[in-house]
Amino acid sequence: MKKLYFDYHMHIAYTEEARECFFTIKCIPPHTKRQCPEAIDIEVCPDAHWAKGEDSFGNPQVYGRVGNSHQNFSFHVRGIVSTGLKAYEAEMPETGQAIYRYPYGLTKPGAGLTAYYKTIRPPDGMPAGDWAVSLMHRLHQDFSYEKGITTVATTAEEAWNGGRGVCQDYAHIMVALCRLAGIPARYVTGMLIGEGFSHAWVEICSGGKWYGLDPTNDMPVADSHIKLGNGRDASDCPINRGLIKGGGAQEQRICLKVEEAG
Amino acid sequence: MDHLELLENTGTVNELLARYGVKFGIYKNNQFKEQLFPFDAIPRIIGNAEFTYLEKGLKQRVMALNLFLKDIYGEKKIIKDHIVPEDFIFASSGYMAECEGVRPPKNIYSHISGIDLVQGKDGHWYVLEDNLRVPSGASYPMIARELCRRSSPHTFENHHLCDNRNYATLLRQTMDHVNVGGHVVILTPGRYNAAYFEHSYLAEKTGAHLVIGSDLRVEDDRLYYVNYDSKLERVGAVYRRISDEYLDPMNFNPESLIGIPHIYDVFRKGNVALINAPGNGVADDKGIYYFVPKMIRYYLGEEPVLSNAPTYLPFYEQDMKYVLENFDKLVLKDVAEAGGYGVVFGNKMSAEQKGNFLNLLKKEPRRFIAQEVIDFLDIDVLIGGKPVPRKADLRAFVLMADEPLVWKSGLTRFSRNPDSFIVNSSQGGGFKDTWVLSQ
Repeated sequence: MKKLYFDYHMHIAYTEEARECFFTIKCIPPHTKRQCPEAIDIEVCPDAHWAKGEDSFGNPQVYGRVGNSHQNFSFHVRGIVSTGLKAYEAEMPETGQAIYRYPYGLTKPGAGLTAYYKTIRPPDGMPAGDWAVSLMHRLHQDFSYEKGITTVATTAEEAWNGGRGVCQDYAHIMVALCRLAGIPARYVTGMLIGEGFSHAWVEICSGGKWYGLDPTNDMPVADSHIKLGNGRDASDCPINRGLIKGGGAQEQRICLKVEEAG
Repeated sequence: MDHLELLENTGTVNELLARYGVKFGIYKNNQFKEQLFPFDAIPRIIGNAEFTYLEKGLKQRVMALNLFLKDIYGEKKIIKDHIVPEDFIFASSGYMAECEGVRPPKNIYSHISGIDLVQGKDGHWYVLEDNLRVPSGASYPMIARELCRRSSPHTFENHHLCDNRNYATLLRQTMDHVNVGGHVVILTPGRYNAAYFEHSYLAEKTGAHLVIGSDLRVEDDRLYYVNYDSKLERVGAVYRRISDEYLDPMNFNPESLIGIPHIYDVFRKGNVALINAPGNGVADDKGIYYFVPKMIRYYLGEEPVLSNAPTYLPFYEQDMKYVLENFDKLVLKDVAEAGGYGVVFGNKMSAEQKGNFLNLLKKEPRRFIAQEVIDFLDIDVLIGGKPVPRKADLRAFVLMADEPLVWKSGLTRFSRNPDSFIVNSSQGGGFKDTWVLSQ
């Protein structure tokens, strides 16, 4: 068990005046069996009309609109989260899991992943959880971490064929392979202690419970991770989604700190 | 009693329809072309007893479809009980995970349903298709009746038929029923939409504001209409004539310029009614069609009043076998297509086309349904001043408030081409008024 302090600050500068912008921020740690957020503070600048809610995948969200001309947009979320309270994140009845068993969006497998899957498919009788853990070890070896090769729009299949990528790609590939094995799997966004970037990993469902596995770091999710959101693929839970009228080009800066609360 | 006066006035009515802008837009080769929707003056006449029978079946069908949608985006009992295989839900392009757990006001999903029927030569009616997303077409018989009454008043003195000009009142009641507080608006993509005439006509007749996306704004969890003075007025119900995908660029297709950012977030919180609810595509999919009679038995414990056209799902091995053995007498439909596209007749394919199609069918059996070709009862259409028999269907409109209600009229569409079975207006067909006799 840990108590983690986090501070996420995103700043977007436009080269030209933006007349109006809409935003949806999914950067608020949900309360799960494994983690418990407390004292979460949210600021949006410039002053905007915004509301809190929850999306259809159970992710907390803040959404709103800036109606005046502006050249900068930023949001700042910080707080304390207790982690590692339980080994699993959530429970879910079988009917709810179904949407995480079907191929979707960026995780749709192609010939490359399907061929790979045939070489690693689970032996009869192997529990889903055990196989997923062995898959995590294997992916950590069979796929290389390298920045700048893939983008947010890269599919699991493309990343796999290229052999290199970042946490989003590890997660998409693992989700795709789990689904090929009939195991409900979902993509997770979050933060990791000591890291200055947001992170992504996977949850698989076994015995009606969702467990986090981090293939990029080859470790199960326990008390070093703060979860922000989940979905069928990365497009269901982006930390920030915006729609801007005007504004020209954008420059985005992210400042993130996650450390043990002192 | 014939309708001589009415027939003599066909030209007048068509001229008036043109003047009122009763047009139908179609995209062909990437070009938007507006064409008149030709009106044929010979009405389709449905007797009172026959319509009472149809009414009973249509209400039952729409009740079951609404319960199905509520179940699918909630408990999913029909899957747990193995009535509908989950593949037909989760692999369907009409299924929207974003609708999971979201309850529309008063649990109504399909407020306005357009159910397409055909009548066989033996007089038996079959349901061909359910349209639960944004079914269009009610305005055409509405205005045609209005104009015919004006140009041929005597015809209407001599026939006892149900007045169909009450559609606007019924529609308004349907919208008011789910209004959570504020204005009722009709949201149109704009004048380049195929059904723009209908949007503006229904707005005029129901007294709802006709709006485009930029007239509406989400603020603090509510939806507002931005008035002439830039003041915000609360909107409680939106009869949206925009497909789910384009409704909200912040929740669905980010490229949409005709939607309203965050409208779905407001809907999710129950602060606005969307008519019809998003996600209905999972219930009017051609694959799900096969299961509608089973739904009626499952949810209502009743035998279906109306029949489906005999349908086979190649997804099931036994049905696949039948389809392969009887290929030449069947019509095959791609479940993802609408508007008469993706429909092929087994006996009209060349050997090569057939070979390609069979390969596709075996590879993606879930994607197709096969149906027996129904021997349609032809109805008379005036061509060159003479009545000639043509294929026609009937789109019946079912409105859902506390109880389902069937509009005592409907859109009868016919094919102008004597060899064609496809009557969709997007394929260049014409329309008729539908008379329901009052006694």
